Amino acid sequence: MIRSLIMFLRRHSAPLFVCVVYLWSAAMILSYRQAEKPAGVTTVLRIGHWQLEAGVRDAFDQMAAEYRKLHPEVDIVQDAIPEGTYSQWMTTQLMGGTAPDLIEVPVGGGGIPYNVVLGFFSRYFLPLTAYVNQPNPYNNGTELEGIAWRKTYKDGMRNSYIEEMQEFMLVPLSQFGIRIFYNKDLLKKLTGLDKAPGDYREFLRACETIKSRKDDRGRPYTPIAGSAYHMGMWDGFMCDPLTYGAVRRVDFNRDGAVGNDELFVGFKTGRIGFDFPPYKAKFRMLRELTEQFQAGFTGLGRDEAVFLFAQERAVFITTGTWDAGSLQEQARGSFEVGVMDFPMPSRDDPEFGSVIEGPVYERPTSQFSFAITRTSRHPEVALDFLRFLGSWKGNQKLNRTIGWIPAIEKTTLSPLLQAFEPHLEGVYGAMPVTLGGETTIKWQQLYSLFQVRQIGYEDMTAQFEPFYLERGVNEFQEAQRNRRRGVAGDEQFLAGFRARAMLVPSNESESQWIKYRQMTTSRLMVRDLGAALLQKRLDEGSVTNAVGPYDLSPAVVARVRARIQRQGKETD
Amino acid sequence: MSAMTSRERLKITALLAGLSLCSFLLGCAQHQETGRSEALIRAGWDNYRLGEFDLAARDFEAALAQVPQGGAEQQGALYGLATTWNLRRPGEDMDLAGRLYRQAISLAPTNDLAAWSWLALARMKALPVAGESPNLEQQVDAYQEVIVRFPFHPAGEEAFLFQQAARLETPDLGRTREVLDALEAFLSTHPRSPWRSAAYKLVGHCCTVFGLPEKRMEAALQEWKTAEVDPANPADLSWTYWQLATLAEFETGNFGLAREYYRKLIAEYPAEQRVFVAKQELQRMDDLETRIRQEAVAR
Repeated sequence: MIRSLIMFLRRHSAPLFVCVVYLWSAAMILSYRQAEKPAGVTTVLRIGHWQLEAGVRDAFDQMAAEYRKLHPEVDIVQDAIPEGTYSQWMTTQLMGGTAPDLIEVPVGGGGIPYNVVLGFFSRYFLPLTAYVNQPNPYNNGTELEGIAWRKTYKDGMRNSYIEEMQEFMLVPLSQFGIRIFYNKDLLKKLTGLDKAPGDYREFLRACETIKSRKDDRGRPYTPIAGSAYHMGMWDGFMCDPLTYGAVRRVDFNRDGAVGNDELFVGFKTGRIGFDFPPYKAKFRMLRELTEQFQAGFTGLGRDEAVFLFAQERAVFITTGTWDAGSLQEQARGSFEVGVMDFPMPSRDDPEFGSVIEGPVYERPTSQFSFAITRTSRHPEVALDFLRFLGSWKGNQKLNRTIGWIPAIEKTTLSPLLQAFEPHLEGVYGAMPVTLGGETTIKWQQLYSLFQVRQIGYEDMTAQFEPFYLERGVNEFQEAQRNRRRGVAGDEQFLAGFRARAMLVPSNESESQWIKYRQMTTSRLMVRDLGAALLQKRLDEGSVTNAVGPYDLSPAVVARVRARIQRQGKETD
Repeated sequence: MSAMTSRERLKITALLAGLSLCSFLLGCAQHQETGRSEALIRAGWDNYRLGEFDLAARDFEAALAQVPQGGAEQQGALYGLATTWNLRRPGEDMDLAGRLYRQAISLAPTNDLAAWSWLALARMKALPVAGESPNLEQQVDAYQEVIVRFPFHPAGEEAFLFQQAARLETPDLGRTREVLDALEAFLSTHPRSPWRSAAYKLVGHCCTVFGLPEKRMEAALQEWKTAEVDPANPADLSWTYWQLATLAEFETGNFGLAREYYRKLIAEYPAEQRVFVAKQELQRMDDLETRIRQEAVAR
């Protein structure tokens, strides 16, 4: 008996060894997990995200500890994945059925095409519409008690509603903003200023002073740490809003914004051109600002600019709240970081005063959004934890720890972030000067030359305008064709939606049919009508002294005059 | 009956019980089959919505193989299969889809699914090819077929509006006049249609083409008033308020109405992008009225 056992072990030693090692590993993993699990925990909730910035993981740990005080049976474990591999990780986890209970979803970015994200929503995530329309129980006893959860958000959860699903799918936790960070100590040392100037002219003067100063080794200081990454922020927050006046000229459909097709029709019909003063002003300001950047900034990336700032070689840098904690961390012990709003020209500015109509508008949108996976073993606990994080108190605490802006109404900001309070009223850019592939490439080439000061505005526009007017015709037509090509996709989507309306129980059917009719109207029925009116304007050709979309025509003024006269007579 | 012995009665009772049991079991089997085919049709649509068209076609075909001939379920499976072949990309087969829709229609030519199948056949004519607009006459004729067959069915009403929208795609004053007349007739004969708001939207477009500001304004107001409200959907009225306000200010000079809707926008959507302009416009209207009054006084 023993002999045969020895023979068996000898004969099968290799597979037996593998089996023993496997069983030992499994036992060790289980025992480690058990040891890691706090006492009394019966539910482990996993949360996956890509936020490796300073403070986020600590904040989640703190919030998990807070939550455990209320629910001792729940333990929360984070899967913090680097941003570069997040989309691959998320995709494989979802497809393999091993995704965490809660997962941060990159909507409209993160390397996953939107149509793929839509597929993920359908297959792998739970709709949250019913829950976001109910009050958040963690808001009981606060000013937000009894209010539907989505209405407690500063942006009304606008980005969480996925139109193609006709459902709320996400719960956001933070808002983000962009401002200028500056080295307070270096500013004081080089300019004598205690505070960064809020006026554009004073800001430029401070920059010139900084540029004229040299360090101990004779190297000049750089006023603004810039890079290709940062360029868009300076443009978007300071220069592009100067072009807002174009809305009054070419926003033909009066939706409050200038589309690239509208601008093209405006150019073709002589309603607007590159001699439009706000357009010229934008590029003058751009030139004045980039003169304060370090040489060769267009070839540099984000890290090089941050390095220059952290090394105290530059005074100003622009970035968002997501970097606030990291910048402070890098400055700790060396210098004090200040945050300032973008310095705008005053209304009496000799150069820009006539074109600047107001502050820059910022759309408050909440991000850092999480969904509940269908494979979650505890969806009700996942939802409850999201409610905890998305409550007045929880959201404030979470964001205070991270150093980000809370997404919930009535919350307060930390002193550093007060400068990030969004401007809810103001102007925005209106110069979408490219149409299709060729005009985009041509514009980018010329704009790059402008940025490195090889050509001026006049040269740039003199080269671009004839190209734009000629090639733009084909690209305008191609854009119309592309719009029509989209019909099949919408038709496909709506047929699926109609089938759902037919098959759902009668109590849900009415709501589904209403959605179906609303989407059919907007996506298919009237999709070509605006384009038809624009085409009509294009066909009519050049105009002179045309009444702009926001001008009061003589007939309208006469009507107002007649009404006032009538009212005057009645009063008499 | 009275001559029947108790033994014979027992036999007959047993026979009847056996028959009842058989029919019950048969009924169950039939019901199970029905339930299974229903589940297959649902699975087919789920796969369709996920873009898994091969799986969708497989489910609808499996359902077709199981359902009794000539019933509503067969029609449902045919409709699903036809829609899959019609709208799947890539791999569509429009001819097959057309045949399947017609087969579905032939099973019950006047019911709901027949109406939607007719509309689908018409919409097939409206799909642009290589980005070019499809032939208008063919579209109009195809929609007309649905309108004539189902004048008061939602599919027929949808077909009517699609027909008018197609006719408005290229600007033509004569055709726009015909469309406006047709839409006004529709609105007067379909007082309970759920499509009235969409019809008013098209009326508004016609008025823009003709330059009829008062009528355009009225159409926009009616479009809003007749819009269906879905309690589960976040109703964002900011665009509606903006549109009504700007129409009132710039098209009709009705500053009272313009102020009303600008103020609604500002009050209900304080974070909306257009609030800044709304405030500018309120100020502008005040300034203009003040100037006109001062001029009147000076005269």
